[in-house]
Amino acid sequence: MSNVLRPYLAAVRSTLTAALTLENFSSQVVERHNKPEVEVGGSKEVLLNPLIISRNENERVLIEPSINSIRVSIKIKQADEIERILCHKFTRFMMQRAENFIVLRRKPVPGYDISFLITNTHSETMLKHKIVDFIIQFMEDVDKEISEMKLSLNARARIVAEQYLTAIAT
Amino acid sequence: MILLESHNVIIKTTLADKINKPSSLDVSFVDYDGVRFRLSTPERKTALLLSMQIRCWDELVRYGALDVLRREYGSLLKDQAEGEYNVSMEIDLEQVPAGAEDREAFIDSIALFKRNALAAPFELAFKTQKELEEANAGQGDLMQIHYRDEEAIYVQAANDRVTVIFSTIFSDETDRIFGKVFLQEFVDARRLPAIQNAPQVLYSNRDPPLEIRHLNLQKSEDIGYVTFVLFPRHFSNPAVAATTISQVQLFRDYLHYHIKCSKAYMHSRMRHRAAEFQKVLNRAKQENTSAEKKTVRFVASFI
Amino acid sequence: MEVNFRKIDIDAFDEEVLRESDLYEEDPRGPAQALDEAKQKQTAVRSSLARNDIVGALSLVLDNPPYGPHVEEAKNISLQTLLTILNTTKSTEITNVVKSLSPDAQDTLMKYLYKGMGMPGWGDISGSVLLGWHEKLTEVAGTGCIVRTMTDRRTV
Repeated sequence: MSNVLRPYLAAVRSTLTAALTLENFSSQVVERHNKPEVEVGGSKEVLLNPLIISRNENERVLIEPSINSIRVSIKIKQADEIERILCHKFTRFMMQRAENFIVLRRKPVPGYDISFLITNTHSETMLKHKIVDFIIQFMEDVDKEISEMKLSLNARARIVAEQYLTAIAT
Repeated sequence: MILLESHNVIIKTTLADKINKPSSLDVSFVDYDGVRFRLSTPERKTALLLSMQIRCWDELVRYGALDVLRREYGSLLKDQAEGEYNVSMEIDLEQVPAGAEDREAFIDSIALFKRNALAAPFELAFKTQKELEEANAGQGDLMQIHYRDEEAIYVQAANDRVTVIFSTIFSDETDRIFGKVFLQEFVDARRLPAIQNAPQVLYSNRDPPLEIRHLNLQKSEDIGYVTFVLFPRHFSNPAVAATTISQVQLFRDYLHYHIKCSKAYMHSRMRHRAAEFQKVLNRAKQENTSAEKKTVRFVASFI
Repeated sequence: MEVNFRKIDIDAFDEEVLRESDLYEEDPRGPAQALDEAKQKQTAVRSSLARNDIVGALSLVLDNPPYGPHVEEAKNISLQTLLTILNTTKSTEITNVVKSLSPDAQDTLMKYLYKGMGMPGWGDISGSVLLGWHEKLTEVAGTGCIVRTMTDRRTV
């Protein structure tokens, strides 16, 4: 992990750990319903203050805690058009497979690239610190993956152009 | 395979096959840019009829395609094309050259049917350039070849160069951005000492280059224009001219082929990365404790 | 037929509905008084900083901060004051400074750190400085400090 990124990920880790104190909680509005309160937003008293952790304008994490669920939204660094399109493709690829990634939300919260929804069921059936590990690992690897993809695209473009022009030049 | 080949693989393999073992057949197949072929034996097993349909046939004829084909294929070319197709040739399998090398050269030349038809405007431009150079005057006519529905090649000769302009459409945003990266590399690649002699490549997005601005083409973000500036050194020698033509006419397909390849590669990477994430997440799942229960039950029954 | 009744906000007439004001008491100081205090603190903090007394400056601004609605101006000035302190502190001193703060001041500092990170690009906010403080503060005050930031409705 690079030294620049470490405090950022450490802050996300400690905030997530703090926020992942969930309990089973039935809806107060509709009888016999049990929904993630952070998504319903119906009862103010069970929602906590949303927290934002940011490195700069382009890289931030929004954590919205509530009594029985938390929503984590990540804005991934996108320096230029290529990174933007690669990031979009990658997050879309993940979100289309949301059923495998139990905690992944199918749509990101507006203003962010990808969102996770962790409910009390998840925190009861899975190991809490490992869920946090997963999110941190995701944040770490997604940056790496995008820059590697960009490099490989540029490398391919260079080889393709050189081969073609060599064929004409000789 | 980085470079695309200009011959048609199906013509090549089928022909080689049929020369060895003639049998009746009727196959239709395609090549780049929506070119359609039909290879059939209408009369007897040893007389193959090869027909080709090209979108821009009329334009090619205007720029001398028939002359080029006649030069290449001579009497094989039929006066009357098969219905629905633009041009046909008849290959008598009993008349093919006997020697192995001659035979291969013959098959290769047939397989270049489409390449030769499309070569006409380029050959004409190279010829015009020589004439203009001698006359030391102006520019030749702008030749337009609409080889795809919304994409075209423009060829124009001047007294010291031949300019080839491709218009190409990027069907989605990813293609457009990837295309930009690739084309930028084409523009930059000439800085390498090894390929300083390559034609100059210019790239513009949305706005057509000066040479074809008067055509009032529709402007759109999705359209890119690529200009190749060919100098006499690229076509003065007939062999060099032939490779130049073969490569240049496939430029559009080459570019898009590699854009698609890149997308496929990205996809396989994402697949791999998503599987890795899945593994990390699976570590969070609590292990099943059913194994321990079994032991307990076993102990209980023992007592 | 009269259909306007459909547009009536019936929640407004519900006696059991929960309002923002039921969750916590508003800042007893009015906007004007809060603003005055924030400005006074700003001056006081400047003189503390001139004496290189970072702990004193921090305690001052973290004590009884303006909170709740209607006091936006005072909040902004307080944040601005706090940021000057954070940005001038050397990163090696942070741990000691944080240790000498009272638990209440630590909680308030955490609130300000999150508020600062929530508005990147505002004023002279630097993500890395805030993250550095956040890391040290979490080491000293623990996760509970973050939980208190989440649960305390008296947002700064």
